Amino acid sequence: MSVESPFIISIPQESLSLLQQKLRLASFPDELDDAGWDYGAPLTDIRRLVARWSNGYDWRYHEAQLNTELPQFTRDIDVGGHGALNVHYVHKKSDAEYAIPLLFVHGWPGSFFEARKLLPLLTRGSPDHPSFHVVAISLPGFGFSEAPRKKGFNLDQYAEVCNKLMLSLGYNEYVTQGGDWGFIITRRMAHLYGPKYVKAWHTNFPGGTPPSLLGQPLSFLTMLFHFLFPSFNPQMQAGFDKTQKFMQSGSGYNAIQSTKPQTLGYSMADSPVGLLAWIYEKLVVCADGYAWDDDEVLTWISIYWFSRAGPTAAARIYYEVGGGNTQKLGELMGTPEYTASIPHGISRFPGEVAILPKSWAKSNRKVVFDREHERGGHFAAYERPVEVCGDLREMFGRGGPAFGVVKGRDGYNS
Amino acid sequence: MAESSFKISVPDAKIDELRQKLRLTRLPDELEDAGWDYGAPLADIRRLVDKWQNGYDWRVHEAQINSELPQFTRDIDVTGHGTLNIHYVHQKSAVPDAIPLLFVHGWPGNFLEVRKILPLLVESSPDHPSFHVVALGLPGYGFSEAPKTKGFKLDQYAEVGQKLMLALGYNEYVTQGGDLGFQINRRIARNYGGKHNKAWHTNFPIAQHPSLLSSPLAYLRALLTPYTAFEKAGLERTNWFETTGRGYYAEHSTKPQTLGYSLADSPVGLLAWIYEKLVAWTDAYAWDDDEVLTWISSYYFSRAGPAASLRIYYEVAKGDKRFPPPSEAPTIPAGFSYFPKEVIVAPRTWKKLLANVVIESEHERGGHFAAHEVPELLVGDVRKMFGKGGPAFGVVPGRTGYA
Repeated sequence: MSVESPFIISIPQESLSLLQQKLRLASFPDELDDAGWDYGAPLTDIRRLVARWSNGYDWRYHEAQLNTELPQFTRDIDVGGHGALNVHYVHKKSDAEYAIPLLFVHGWPGSFFEARKLLPLLTRGSPDHPSFHVVAISLPGFGFSEAPRKKGFNLDQYAEVCNKLMLSLGYNEYVTQGGDWGFIITRRMAHLYGPKYVKAWHTNFPGGTPPSLLGQPLSFLTMLFHFLFPSFNPQMQAGFDKTQKFMQSGSGYNAIQSTKPQTLGYSMADSPVGLLAWIYEKLVVCADGYAWDDDEVLTWISIYWFSRAGPTAAARIYYEVGGGNTQKLGELMGTPEYTASIPHGISRFPGEVAILPKSWAKSNRKVVFDREHERGGHFAAYERPVEVCGDLREMFGRGGPAFGVVKGRDGYNS
Repeated sequence: MAESSFKISVPDAKIDELRQKLRLTRLPDELEDAGWDYGAPLADIRRLVDKWQNGYDWRVHEAQINSELPQFTRDIDVTGHGTLNIHYVHQKSAVPDAIPLLFVHGWPGNFLEVRKILPLLVESSPDHPSFHVVALGLPGYGFSEAPKTKGFKLDQYAEVGQKLMLALGYNEYVTQGGDLGFQINRRIARNYGGKHNKAWHTNFPIAQHPSLLSSPLAYLRALLTPYTAFEKAGLERTNWFETTGRGYYAEHSTKPQTLGYSLADSPVGLLAWIYEKLVAWTDAYAWDDDEVLTWISSYYFSRAGPAASLRIYYEVAKGDKRFPPPSEAPTIPAGFSYFPKEVIVAPRTWKKLLANVVIESEHERGGHFAAHEVPELLVGDVRKMFGKGGPAFGVVPGRTGYA
């Protein structure tokens, strides 16, 4: 039986001091005239952020805020073949008696930090909507969790850690929410641990598998029709165009992280400027016009910079799950051979990086909720917490398609 | 257009800054038994960083390079992009009628790649031709200025090479190159071939399978000709490279600026980024630590900084074709050398459409950095191509390469 320890983020002073020394020595590249965002994160943005990081940004202040807002803990979790990993997580209980246990799983370049705004919304009790006990895990290698030490920490291992965490907290039945890697991991969890432990799952990063002629003949024919006559469905065409654009011009990070994460990792570990640019580019490009505050960005990046295992460890998930080559990763968006039979909810945001036809999500999932929104991007839980929370409340609330999935915990007081 | 002689002289402040950064190096961890699977191993990088900080003396190597390589700079005007100050190596042979040869490097190379082949190429002998050698420092590399404007593509790099040769009085010349140098030289051959560029040699003749629709005969020949053992091994290596080794390319060609912040700010990051290629792309070449550090330092101390060197990938990926159709193949004589540990090795039947191939040589050793790894083999091929009895003998009128 694992033992929980309360956790307070408390970065050693010497780490802060090293960061400052490095920032003071920062060297910048030049930039082409009128480059804009075409070649990557613009120089003015990075210079401004580095200047702020060096002078004005107060990590201790934000560290204290995080500690106040997010009740954090650590505990050892044993993972088959990999020994015990000390896992960091946020755990906030609702004031509602029968709140639904919900596991929030982040992705890359995210962290437990992404649950920050959802937390107060999801945990607030009310007779008018369900509420949740929320667990936001730091995946191994991220935030303040230990990183795996051995090769081969794959999707099943991430799923195992997540499931064991919930069970260790006494949540024998629970639901999940995730985007990015959180989607891929919770999908695996739905397959491995549903319906025994995982009762339903929700995502903001739906992906999808093209229908097959034999499996979903009507969907397949519809798809064929739309390919032949794209003007009949401009929305679908626009989705494909956006997805293609991201794959062609925005997925370089994916290619290097899934093949040589260690090579890249020397830069990430050694250069705060390099790490900042690497992540900041995604924060801006993948969000939907979100007005990032400089300190907000710096806190997000600092969590990576000060992470327990260092920023290099986080990228290894791409290598491990991608099989060490660039081809397999593309398949992960779609799916695998396995189906997930438990109820599935989808929230669609227009700024997401990959937008596939809605019907494709039905290929091997039991979709019971599918809502489209007008604004929001890849970091939906952070950009549009009200919408994400609203969708979860509707999906799991009275009259909703997943109401009462967790025995004895319908989300209300009575 | 005036030429200035040039000696590398990195300011003390820059060397000091490097030392200060190295002292603050923060290294990542590594998975148990990672080997080379995830990238450059921690033990190697740690050792190199320690040496760089303690024991490696840039000034010694700087002086050596200056004594070995006669270097110059001159302004070259590039249509639509203004004037760029270009750095190059230029060494004439003692043979007055030596063949003018332009050597064009790639990434992560630079002008230093000419170091070992230079004395061999200029050497005079009754038994082989000799060359007047110009090693171009590509804009954005070494001590050449970098373009400041967008859209500096293959045509522009080719223009720089052509204009440099003309400025040096070499109205007619031949070229040698690999990596990006192959693509640039192919463009030189297409744009200036016949009148100025008379022949070209490459050690990186990358090709794809001929298309059924555009080249049915070649397609059939490629389909029906069995692969040799060399070619089979080559296809395997190519597949390994394409699936596991092109991550750098994906980032360079889409977000060079984003990556550039890391390479500009972190010496260890730059070291790892390049060192991984120096080892993976060579044929068990026994790199000396100082040799590696000199190579990396030339990037760290480069005039435009290491970030500038990445942009060519973006521009070329956007504006140039990786595999131009046969209709765009240059017609001047071409020589191809095949090294077994090159990263892309296409079967011969695929390569025939690339150019007017007059000579091919297959080797048992050597990799991507042929000029550095196996200089005598590479030069041997170039001599065979242009020497007496060779298929490109006398291709530059009046300059046979012999006394």
